Amino acid sequence: MPSLRELQSGVMRALLDGEPDGAVPLIAARGIAPKHRLDVYANNARTGFIESLISSYPAIRRLVGEDYFRRCARGFHARHPSLSGDLQPAGTKFAQYLSELHGDDEFRYLSEVARLEWLIQETLLAADHGPLDLAKLGLVLPDDYDDLRFHLHPSARLFASQYPCVSIWEANVGSDAEPEMMDLGAAPDRVLLVRTGGQLKCHRLSHGEFRFLRSVQAGERFVAAVESGAARSEADVAGDGETRTFDAAAALQRFVLAGVIVDFQ
Amino acid sequence: MMDNGARSITCAATVSPVPANAGIGPRADIGPRAGIGLRAQHHLEVLSDAPAVAWFEAHTENYFADGGAHVEALGRIRANYPLSLHGVGLSLGSTDPLDTRHLERVRRAVNRFEPELLSEHLSWSSVGGRFANDLLPLPYTEEALRHVSSRIAQAQDFLGRRILIENVSSYLQFECSRMPEWEFVAAVAAESGCGILLDLNNIYVAARNHEFDAQRYLDAIDPRAVQEIHLAGHSAVEFEGQELLIDTHGTPVCDAVWNLYRAAQRRFGDVPTLIEWDTDIPALEVLVAEAAKADALRAEAHALAA
Repeated sequence: MPSLRELQSGVMRALLDGEPDGAVPLIAARGIAPKHRLDVYANNARTGFIESLISSYPAIRRLVGEDYFRRCARGFHARHPSLSGDLQPAGTKFAQYLSELHGDDEFRYLSEVARLEWLIQETLLAADHGPLDLAKLGLVLPDDYDDLRFHLHPSARLFASQYPCVSIWEANVGSDAEPEMMDLGAAPDRVLLVRTGGQLKCHRLSHGEFRFLRSVQAGERFVAAVESGAARSEADVAGDGETRTFDAAAALQRFVLAGVIVDFQ
Repeated sequence: MMDNGARSITCAATVSPVPANAGIGPRADIGPRAGIGLRAQHHLEVLSDAPAVAWFEAHTENYFADGGAHVEALGRIRANYPLSLHGVGLSLGSTDPLDTRHLERVRRAVNRFEPELLSEHLSWSSVGGRFANDLLPLPYTEEALRHVSSRIAQAQDFLGRRILIENVSSYLQFECSRMPEWEFVAAVAAESGCGILLDLNNIYVAARNHEFDAQRYLDAIDPRAVQEIHLAGHSAVEFEGQELLIDTHGTPVCDAVWNLYRAAQRRFGDVPTLIEWDTDIPALEVLVAEAAKADALRAEAHALAA
């Protein structure tokens, strides 16, 4: 008699690796071949996994079409099966998988859109948090600001891409209309995603604001975050044709009022 | 032109305002009246229309998130209705170490939503760290009985409360099984101290697939252990002319399962009943009508008995 461990290992190889030889002799045939009986479970496992990807990646599915999405999802499932009793994290590495498939061709942007969709998932499922307590901030002496470490909302996610992924996402989610042709060379994305008041919000950012928020998110002191925001880079000039200066006070005010900066220590 | 302002994006996170009078007053305990499985597409309707549903059962894993629309919705629904949390991912029968991260999340959901009933399945879904995320049957052996009973006891200790364990549908039987499923289920409840969530559709599906008498199954289960009953629909597929029933939860409860429900009333008495529907989910009113049918059958069965 096989041990429970041996039995389970054999069945799992049949379900996830398409190798039923170890499991078939363990199963009573009675009318229907063990292989078919195992296939019912293998199909359930795959279907549940793919449904989870469908709910996490609606824009990718729309962009590539149902058939290719399912083919891709099967390949992804074979390579990266679920590692949890909760299917929500199943698509964690899907963007990486798409970049392995399409890293060098004209569909390179797909993995970038997938990366955005995963961040959107994270934003939608993150903890709630109220706005910053302005009275508490009012008690801080101006000289002490430099040493403050601000906290972003738990749902805040920064996203930058050379492709206009946010526009691509918007055009492919929530509307049945055929999306228009898109210029992949249009303005690249630099955005902050956050969920406030039950709504997903997308803030477009200048280079300076992006670097500032990245520093804040990394837990750096305010003075260091401001330095990051103000640091000049070629992108500031070349990116959208105009030179910007980073206004720390304006940035702080904007992100506090928007519920992006929610606390400090 | 650079759009520097925030833009609100249409997405599932949006929660419509709920009228202040929503709800059905203070919640009561789960009684014998039939409840329905809560699915995300019905959240807003339940919140805005406050339908007359006796209680709801939600899949625990669907509310594992730190926050967001679903967690918020369940919190508000829970304020107005009795609730059961029903797990599908704990993999209690697995020979991997018990997943304490998963259990920790269950505990968090229990602390958050304070369900009256808490349940999981008598199955396994993972080994070697890989998950099929399906309810796989155990072999009915002494080894599996000892193993799964100790895991259920471990989970109950961790959660600090008794849980109900549901019998699953099955499409295969293991050659090494040494006892019928009903003996296994009864023994697990006796050994681990768990309650039983008896899924009558699963019994029917297994009985048809493995050619046994469903009544024998009911007769083997201790009435004191049964604390919840599930009703659902199934589908059939054919392999080389042989029919195999599949537990799809995507159709109305069939007549044979309603008959089993009548028999269950006679043996188990008034036990909370749940209508489950997981694929091709219909309008809420269809589920409410199925629950009403269960209530009518139960009243009829008890009138006959009296």
